[in-house]
Amino acid sequence: MSANTAETSRKPTVPPRSEGADLELKGITKRFAEFVAVKDLDLTVPSGTFFALLGPSGCGKSTTLRMIAGLDAPSEGEILIGGKNVTSLPSHQREVNTVFQSYALFPHMTVLENVAFGLKRKKDKQAMEKAREGLKMVELDHLANRRPEQLSGGQQQRVALARALVNRPQVLLLDEPLGALDMKLRRQMQFELKAIQTEVGLTFIHVTHDQEEAMTMADVVAVMNEGRIEQMGAPRDLYELPKTAFVANFLGKSNLMRAHVVGQQEGLIEAQTAGCRVLIPVERAVQHEGDIVIGVRPEKLHLHRGAPQESTGYNELSGQVIDVSFTGTTTEYLIEVPGIGRIGTFSQNRGQQPAQMGDTVYLSWESAHSFGLAGDEVVDAGVDQT
Amino acid sequence: MSKMMMTKKGKIADLRSAEEIKAERRKGRTGVYLVVPGMLVLFLFFALPVIVLLSMSLYARPEGAEIGEFVPALEFGNYVTVLSAYWSELVRSFGFALIATVLALLIGYPMAYLVAVRLRQHGLLQGILLVLLIAPFFSSFILRTQAWKQILADEGWVAQTLKLIAVLPVDGHLTATPFAVVAGLTYNFLPFMVLPIYANLGRLDTRLLEASGDLYASPMTSFFKVTLPLSAPGVFAGTLLTFIPAAGDYVNAALLGNNRNTTMIGQVIDSRFFKVIDYPGAAALSFVLMLSILILVTLYIRRFGTKELM
Repeated sequence: MSANTAETSRKPTVPPRSEGADLELKGITKRFAEFVAVKDLDLTVPSGTFFALLGPSGCGKSTTLRMIAGLDAPSEGEILIGGKNVTSLPSHQREVNTVFQSYALFPHMTVLENVAFGLKRKKDKQAMEKAREGLKMVELDHLANRRPEQLSGGQQQRVALARALVNRPQVLLLDEPLGALDMKLRRQMQFELKAIQTEVGLTFIHVTHDQEEAMTMADVVAVMNEGRIEQMGAPRDLYELPKTAFVANFLGKSNLMRAHVVGQQEGLIEAQTAGCRVLIPVERAVQHEGDIVIGVRPEKLHLHRGAPQESTGYNELSGQVIDVSFTGTTTEYLIEVPGIGRIGTFSQNRGQQPAQMGDTVYLSWESAHSFGLAGDEVVDAGVDQT
Repeated sequence: MSKMMMTKKGKIADLRSAEEIKAERRKGRTGVYLVVPGMLVLFLFFALPVIVLLSMSLYARPEGAEIGEFVPALEFGNYVTVLSAYWSELVRSFGFALIATVLALLIGYPMAYLVAVRLRQHGLLQGILLVLLIAPFFSSFILRTQAWKQILADEGWVAQTLKLIAVLPVDGHLTATPFAVVAGLTYNFLPFMVLPIYANLGRLDTRLLEASGDLYASPMTSFFKVTLPLSAPGVFAGTLLTFIPAAGDYVNAALLGNNRNTTMIGQVIDSRFFKVIDYPGAAALSFVLMLSILILVTLYIRRFGTKELM
């Protein structure tokens, strides 16, 4: 969005900064007959946060959103917006607006009438002017008199966004709003959405199954799986230190190895995996004894063609290259490590001679980059789930 | 895809072989053959009768002719005669048809909404109600109207109840009144109102109603701002399908009406043809009825019509 251009800053179109409200879910459970979609969910989203609910389809994230919007009633628990209990309020009485995945634009109204719909219901005397401002914000004011069907997918998406935003809701809900767009448009809209959120300062709850989207846009990401929040935090914290195998695999990629703790020294856990000694900082491990799962992100691994020298503070493994794929900026390797399994890594293409299929290579990483998970984790949980 | 190509001069070159062109022409002719039976049926059973009717309406009765004896002529006076004699029946027919259409809409829309939207998740119940809606078609139209005569009869429970609660005076009647005729019309043409609206509402995207609720519209506002405007084509088709046959109907007026203030134009045409044996008069009235419906419907389409129907 061109929020920083002279034209935008001059005109009084940008509405006064209205802070969103805190959103609080207390013990929310949603059952559909036998199926439990959301299990005892507790969540607090501070006002003005860009919050992402990330998870594979069927994890309960959309159901959670619909309960906040008032489109579904929770089976148990309370929903509070700005400290006020809204659990029993119907959707039209909640200061919440939604950008639907299907956009749900009214086909019998013009774009402008669509955007003015909510304002008119609230008997806003300046509904039309505000709707025009809203369309200006998403740079579609020139299409105000068109019908939604005459617009492209990306334009419809913006209309849906403007239609929700102009009402200045306490909480704005986005249900996979970029799902129907192609990759390029998606990236552009992600950027624009983030800019708009920063500009208006509303509380945004963004539901998505795209981990990259969640990480790029959100201040706080909650990873949901099977009706529960697995882990919540700033994108970087979640990525660098996943607490479950599901988070480790769903949010980016991870190499997970089963290991057994053999000792602890100087704040490091020492574990054995397939005859190799691996160190993990104590504060980066969920479990400190017995069988555990060790993880390391692919980009943290260094690939050596001969035995590495840098042994102190580093963990090492060696194996055979079983797959090499060239992706342009990087080359990806799959290395079979005896007794552990396949480890993925990649190297930037800086002109070095890439390792060949069948080569024996050495992998090393800083101990501080390892993380430890509970021993009962399913190692491939969340792999390739969307 | 036909093999066309732009030549350098910008003309379209036909690169197809002679066989391909022949095959294409054969395909074109197949279309024509397929249309022929339909055209023939339309000509025989629609165009020809209309022409016969039109010429008959202009026949004249020579001096001293026997009953039923007419000669071909261009007697436009027939129209003036029947119109001046029966304009009130014509107006009444449209009046009754209009009231019946409005009532059928008020009764039929909620029915269609219930079956198409509210019961969307309940396939079985939806099916049962649809069958019930169509079930009356399995028995004769006249028989059903006759049954209404029994229902509304003086000794029937409807009249008795209304008399008991003093809505109807003790010496009042339900049958042989305009009320009974309009009730009969409403009942008989109700399915023609419900079915098009049902078909339309069946396609209603309920996510739009969620969106409207999300945008502060109460369920009532959502209905008037979203559901109703979106179902306009169904309402439009339903009102036409109810109004047109109701305006020309004579069974309801004959069975449920009286001979004073319920006579509809269909009855007049019927008696002109079969009782008075005034073929030109009946033909002229039929033509007037047809033309007036055509004009009214055209005005209606102009005013409220949707793109699909134009």
